[in-house]
Amino acid sequence: MSEDAASTEAESGDLTAAEQRRAVRERYARIATESSGCCGESTGCDEADADDRAKRLGYAEDDLASVADGANLGLGCGNPNALASLREGETVLDLGSGGGFDCFLAAREVGDSGRVIGVDMTPEMVERARENAEKNDARNVEFRLGEIEHLPVADGSVDVVISNCVVNLSPSKPQVFRDAYRVLRPGGRLAISDVVVTASLPEDVRSDPESVAACVAGASTIDALEEMLATAGFERVRISPKGESRSFIREWDDDRDLGDYLVSASIEGRKPAH
Amino acid sequence: MKESLMDIICCPMDKHDLELEVDDRNDEEVLAGTLVCTECGERYPIEDGIPNLLPPDMRD
Repeated sequence: MSEDAASTEAESGDLTAAEQRRAVRERYARIATESSGCCGESTGCDEADADDRAKRLGYAEDDLASVADGANLGLGCGNPNALASLREGETVLDLGSGGGFDCFLAAREVGDSGRVIGVDMTPEMVERARENAEKNDARNVEFRLGEIEHLPVADGSVDVVISNCVVNLSPSKPQVFRDAYRVLRPGGRLAISDVVVTASLPEDVRSDPESVAACVAGASTIDALEEMLATAGFERVRISPKGESRSFIREWDDDRDLGDYLVSASIEGRKPAH
Repeated sequence: MKESLMDIICCPMDKHDLELEVDDRNDEEVLAGTLVCTECGERYPIEDGIPNLLPPDMRD
């Protein structure tokens, strides 16, 4: 376990950071430009499937009804908004905002006096999110192209950092947590849903770029994540695996039962108030 | 990009303030322009209302 924590950069098998980034950008550009979103035509996954999935991830019917079609791409693994307990007037930053679904839900919680910023490194995703912002008439939401390891966000300017099944995609997770810590105001909180590894993945999975891009091979252990968060400066770190998530993780791969290796977890922490 | 967001964005590389140069705008937001880092001078384009604040080596 400690070895995992120490060698986080090499964690996702033998892919270089650049290879990993490329695989992720290509996959999500493809998803963003597919008409129906979700998993595209080959599997016949449509908006109804994405909504059905979202309900299993912990979104309420009312959440789904409140966001116009096209934002929920069915790519999450939990509901970070539910963790975040957002309040009116807060500033929220979503790491890897994708189609914008979690941003629009957060925008509803923080109201007109609050604001939500979505950062994503895939141009096609940001364009799609911006179109969705118009459909949702979401005036307090802004999207920008950026990398979660190099956030274009000022120090201490954010109340809450949320993220849904994205941090596992990063080849340098400690840097993601350091930068999230930097942008949070003192007392600000981190509320993330992500997959964590519960057993060593087979070597062929670890070195497969597609598998990294699909939120599988890049995932860390709970111990490694705890250490990264503590090193970044977070307190009250709590990582809670959600056993029930194994049922939908099992559906991510036709050939292999990934539920044996991965589980979705909520990852929370706080920047000390003083 | 709404101008009200200028106070919370920064250069992704050195985290210094950015200066806004506007080429085109409507009532609500800046549609085209450039964000220039006041420290390193790096220029980040705004196209179709979307600021591209990716690190320079990741830009297409």
